[in-house]
Amino acid sequence: MIKFINTGKKYPNGFQALENINLEINDGEFVAIIGLSGAGKSTLLRTINKMNAATSGQVLVNDKDVSKLEGKELRELRRSIGMIFQSFNLVKRASVYKNVLAGRVAYHSTFKTLFGIFPEEDKIMALEALEKMGILDKAYERADRLSGGQQQRVALARALAQNPKIILADEPVASLDPITTLAVMDDFKRINRDYGITIVANMHHVDLAVKYADRIIGLQAGKLVYDGPSDAIDEEKLIQIYGRSLHADEVHGRVDAPKIKDVAGTSVFDKENKKEKKKSVKISDVEGE
Amino acid sequence: MMKFWNKKKHEIKKIQTQLNDQEQASQKVADKYNQRPKKWMYNGGIALLVVAAVVYAFISSEISIRDVDFATQFYYLWRGFTHPNTDFLFDMSKGGVPYLTLETIAIAFSGTFLAAILAIPFGFLTAKNVVGKHWSKLGEVLLIIIRTFPEIVLALVLIRVIGMGATTGALTIGIHSIGMLAKLYAEAIENMDQGPIEALDAVGANVWQKIRYGILPQVIPDFLSVALYRFDINVRSATILGMVSAGGLGAPLIFASQAWNWSQMSSVLIAIVIMVITVDFISSKLRQKLV
Amino acid sequence: MLAAKTITLPSGKTVKQPFNKIIIPAAIAIAVFIVCSWVVLQNKGTLKLYEIGTIFKQLFSPTDYPAMNIHHTWGDYFGYLFSLEIREALGETLRMSFIGSIIGSVLCLPFAILCSQNIVKTKWIYVPMRFIINLVRTMPTMVMAVIAVSLIGMGALAGIIATSIFTFGIMTKMLYECIEALDMGPYEALQSCGANKTQAFFYSVFPQLLPTYLGYFIYNFEINVRTSIVLGYVGAGGLGVILQANMDSIYTRSRVGAILIMMFLLVLLMQAFTRYVRGKLQ
Repeated sequence: MIKFINTGKKYPNGFQALENINLEINDGEFVAIIGLSGAGKSTLLRTINKMNAATSGQVLVNDKDVSKLEGKELRELRRSIGMIFQSFNLVKRASVYKNVLAGRVAYHSTFKTLFGIFPEEDKIMALEALEKMGILDKAYERADRLSGGQQQRVALARALAQNPKIILADEPVASLDPITTLAVMDDFKRINRDYGITIVANMHHVDLAVKYADRIIGLQAGKLVYDGPSDAIDEEKLIQIYGRSLHADEVHGRVDAPKIKDVAGTSVFDKENKKEKKKSVKISDVEGE
Repeated sequence: MMKFWNKKKHEIKKIQTQLNDQEQASQKVADKYNQRPKKWMYNGGIALLVVAAVVYAFISSEISIRDVDFATQFYYLWRGFTHPNTDFLFDMSKGGVPYLTLETIAIAFSGTFLAAILAIPFGFLTAKNVVGKHWSKLGEVLLIIIRTFPEIVLALVLIRVIGMGATTGALTIGIHSIGMLAKLYAEAIENMDQGPIEALDAVGANVWQKIRYGILPQVIPDFLSVALYRFDINVRSATILGMVSAGGLGAPLIFASQAWNWSQMSSVLIAIVIMVITVDFISSKLRQKLV
Repeated sequence: MLAAKTITLPSGKTVKQPFNKIIIPAAIAIAVFIVCSWVVLQNKGTLKLYEIGTIFKQLFSPTDYPAMNIHHTWGDYFGYLFSLEIREALGETLRMSFIGSIIGSVLCLPFAILCSQNIVKTKWIYVPMRFIINLVRTMPTMVMAVIAVSLIGMGALAGIIATSIFTFGIMTKMLYECIEALDMGPYEALQSCGANKTQAFFYSVFPQLLPTYLGYFIYNFEINVRTSIVLGYVGAGGLGVILQANMDSIYTRSRVGAILIMMFLLVLLMQAFTRYVRGKLQ
């Protein structure tokens, strides 16, 4: 369980990124954080594993105050939390397998890992993670040979190899094309459902957040302005979060129609559009093979 | 060329008269024309300065070529080069060209190998993203000092300490190459992708693990490529170091030249050319593979 | 470690782990290094580590030799540092490398054009041309200087010839690579509006090339200063000559030290100068 108690974050330059956040995320939930860029989505996400430290209040992960952890304890917390990044953050020149194995380093002594020695179980664990993501056959290829979607799956496999209870995803699909975006989001959903891993994701595309997450958290200028189930969200609430109607680029929209200009409310929620999306998922499955 | 310029001048004149004709309509054009950048004074000044420098350099160096009998000299040069000393060229003993070529390559290789390893800590300690701006400046200055010290002079100093011979040559190259290698290593480290390190942070890796799994896999191919490039350069340097008796092909070359023994010199030159071309070829092939 | 290993996953799938490809090249490199160091160690002098301190003291401070009735002071040291001999040698070094750079970089222009594939489209011109250039580039400047000295005698001219040939080789290569990377659109555009090849070259290729060319020139000038500093060691003029003259006697070590300091300062100044000029050229 992740719990924010009056959490605030002020950057050294004086910018107040988060203010008095009170929030509870239960185990096994799929939570999407939405809001304008600069609203503090990333900061909120990164306070959970202290990639950014909260400056006031508390962040509790399984009843441990994260903001007080240092050194070894912090690393032990981090190894139980997977993290996914917008730019995948893989070592491009290393093989897929080595990238995934790197997810295990925190479980072993510095000395052993410096020489690249991992126990047999770890190697199997890494390969299993790749199998779960459906890219086992790419295990020994260089990471930069893979497409964007596949690279993000490698990153997901690295996170799975950590054996995490929580996966944090910082704009996981922002640098993917529309078709692979849906495939990767499906992967997130599957991980959440099949392995009961809590997923907290920052989402730029509101319609994707609504489609995949169980719960939406809306931030505006560092303040929590919305917290509720994703099916309860409507245009009015979006305007409340965004302070305006949505821009075209904030909606993932129809895969085959990239020229949507102003879709505020309309194309996001009409049924026809949802059908289109389902169709495109099928396309992506074909292309992924 | 002159014709073209005259034509151009003529054209400009024509444009000017046309402008006068259609004053009102093309006032804007005329204004723009008058506002054209006039950098000829600046450029001309610099050109004049350069020309003056060239003229001064040529005049002041008092080069005299009166007392050189070029025809005879070139005849001997030509005769020597077309008749290399084959006994020397295929002499398999330690004083022969093949062994000395091997020694030259060995000096270059072991020197580069040493430098490639020694430069790693220097590279890390000079990279801005590892040690910060101030320490990086300090490291840079140190590397400039190493690079600036001429190789031959370094060899001359080292000869007093560890004696003449190939070992001195290898050590000279090993020390001197650190300067360039560490600088290029530092650049590779500065240009690397920070993402994997962030990811390893999130995974819970400590500093050493971050270096081992985040930095090294990214930079080692770059390091190798840089070291191979430096090996190319060092093969050439190793030939020169022989001239100050630090081993390799340089020594017979300078002895031959002092004795005007052109045929012996030409055997050494043949060896140098073949050696350098082969090494260049191999190292460029290997570097292509590394990318 | 070398054989491929098979891992069976709990799900029953098997994965063949390829053997680590790095091991073989690494083993080769280490083997070559061992052979090379063995060869190198065959030819070693006697180690006199204790000499280090003495040498540096002799080089960089005025040293007395009472037995020879030689007494130096710091005044002598700095006096020599700025003496006429050193100043003249510095001047000669600079002139040699400057003239060499000028001659080399002028000579390289036609050859660079003949070497570039996108201007000279005939293969039997640019391929042999490149071969010649590569042949020229294999010779270290110092070797060139040795040949030049035995050919025309000691002096700055030998150094000028050596640096010219070096500059010629490297500039031609850099320049033709640059020409080949150029945007040929303007060249074609000019030809399409009736310019002949020369006009098209001077109005489209040349302006694109000029800043690069000047940058290369400055870069080569810097390299030439570095090399011509020591060219004198084989008799080709400049600072190296007085370095060599003072090298053999133990009593003139402090002079050698002074010359080293001047060499160092000259190279540093050149570096600063080229950095400044290249910054101006962008």
